[in-house]
Amino acid sequence: MSASSIFIILVSSILVNNFVLSRFLGICPFLGVSKQVETAFGMGMAVTFVMALASLMTYMVQHFILIPLELEYLQTIAFILVIASLVQLVEMIIQKSSPTLYSSLGVFLPLITTNCAVLGLAILNIQMELTMIEALIHGIGAAVGFTLAIVLFAAIREKLEYYNVPEPFKGFPIALIIASFMSLAFLGFTGLV
Amino acid sequence: MKLKELVYKGIVTENPVFIQLLGMCPVLAVTNTAENALGMGAATAAVLIGSNFVISLLRKFIPSKIRIPAFVVVIATFVTIVGMVMKAYLPALDAALGLFIPLIVVNCLILARAEAFASKNSVLKSVVDGVGMGLGFTIALVVLGAVRELLGAGTIFGATMTWSSFEPAGVMGLPPGAFLALGMLLALYNKIASMKLKKQ
Amino acid sequence: MREVIKLGLILLLITSVAAVVLGITNDATSVIIEQREQEEKAQALKVLIPNADEFIQIEETLFADRQDIVEAYEGLKDGVVVGYAVKVNPSGYGGDVNIIVGFTNEGITTGIIIGTHTETPGLGSKIEDEVFVNQFTDRMTDNALVSVKRSVEQDNEVQAISGATVSSDAVINGVNAAISFLREVIMNHSSGCSCCG
Repeated sequence: MSASSIFIILVSSILVNNFVLSRFLGICPFLGVSKQVETAFGMGMAVTFVMALASLMTYMVQHFILIPLELEYLQTIAFILVIASLVQLVEMIIQKSSPTLYSSLGVFLPLITTNCAVLGLAILNIQMELTMIEALIHGIGAAVGFTLAIVLFAAIREKLEYYNVPEPFKGFPIALIIASFMSLAFLGFTGLV
Repeated sequence: MKLKELVYKGIVTENPVFIQLLGMCPVLAVTNTAENALGMGAATAAVLIGSNFVISLLRKFIPSKIRIPAFVVVIATFVTIVGMVMKAYLPALDAALGLFIPLIVVNCLILARAEAFASKNSVLKSVVDGVGMGLGFTIALVVLGAVRELLGAGTIFGATMTWSSFEPAGVMGLPPGAFLALGMLLALYNKIASMKLKKQ
Repeated sequence: MREVIKLGLILLLITSVAAVVLGITNDATSVIIEQREQEEKAQALKVLIPNADEFIQIEETLFADRQDIVEAYEGLKDGVVVGYAVKVNPSGYGGDVNIIVGFTNEGITTGIIIGTHTETPGLGSKIEDEVFVNQFTDRMTDNALVSVKRSVEQDNEVQAISGATVSSDAVINGVNAAISFLREVIMNHSSGCSCCG
């Protein structure tokens, strides 16, 4: 596996196929946890941690359990259980070992189980026929792309507080329209890879 | 609560998309045509009705400590069944919806109904709740899909709806169009709601 | 402790029931899926190599090192090769595009059939339009096809769909992959065989 293919996977997952703005994965936290840059960044870090681990775990479940037993059709059920237990485990470990980290990331962890970006990543890794290392890199890239999008979005929404938005557009409508412009900007990366 | 009210609640007063903003990923991702939107809505509704039925049937058997993993297993089972059936009978739709079929598992709408309704109510009521919420979700998706398809390709359900000089804005079929169309529809919804309130 | 075991057993019971239900559904649907795929493939092959009465799958080892090639077939009539079909899946804008390319035994294209894809409706989905698909019929395949954005001037040019260059290029790349495989492997290979026979 060469350095160039690592680079291609990273650029593709961070910019070209940005999980939020082009694949529509992880929209709930993107809209829900993006009112402040600080919390958005915390969510991004928690997602990065879980996504990297989930990429490895689901790869192993698929290649060492499901494929040898010819149970590929149980993929959805197996992956969601792996992710849910993983999130629970990470939460317990962080809580015991680092209370500071727990106070900053802990609140986001339970939300991640139903973040479709994690399950989406796991299934995409298998569909794209990535190796274990590639899957890990894809996971990190996807999470960095998620963090980038949510932090930029939160920064714009913070500024929005100072503007007089027309009444019907207040709240989610204007947020969605901003997301549309961001997505338009990210569309410019098409063809980069 | 009467059964009719339950359905009305799902479609209008507690519409999962327009009011509760639940399950936004598929709402944005697969509404590039009315047909895809209808397919996604129907698949989600089928899972929702099935999982509401089984969860309410088992509500006294499942201890509350393990209810969430148990619900997730039930939901994932229905999602997988729906995925298999679609692959067998509607292969083109299955390919168009792709990743978002297995992702119905993490649609917050389904877990939310399991937790808030099916685990506390009778089987009949839970199924009706599933029908109402499923219909509400499907209608919202089809409306969004129809608007995007009309502006993005000049068609609705594949039938040409516009005059010949109409130049479709292809971007409506792409991700930015999804965010824009939903933002505009929500604003329109708010406007209508506030005008109704003023009248009263 | 006893409670933990009880909870675990209940969860195990639910999961086992789920697994059994899914196993049964899988057995039922996988037969249908396979049968439908076979039928569709047979139909596509019949369209692309109309005068053949028998189709033989070409060994996978011949294209194992080539990108985008999924399957390949020889069409025979009375035991003589009359054409070829190559199934390719190049990546488009939204994911893989499944295409079957047909050839005569002289290597001229007989046409393409676009299968399942996830290109953007209204833009990339225009690769299914006749105007675009028909450009791939009766092509000499001495040179690789080239995508152009103006009207076609050279023999090997294909006019891309305006606004959907990525999707158009995906189809052209797929067809080119099929062409080079046919030219470099199949036709060399089979002519070698006919020498021996």
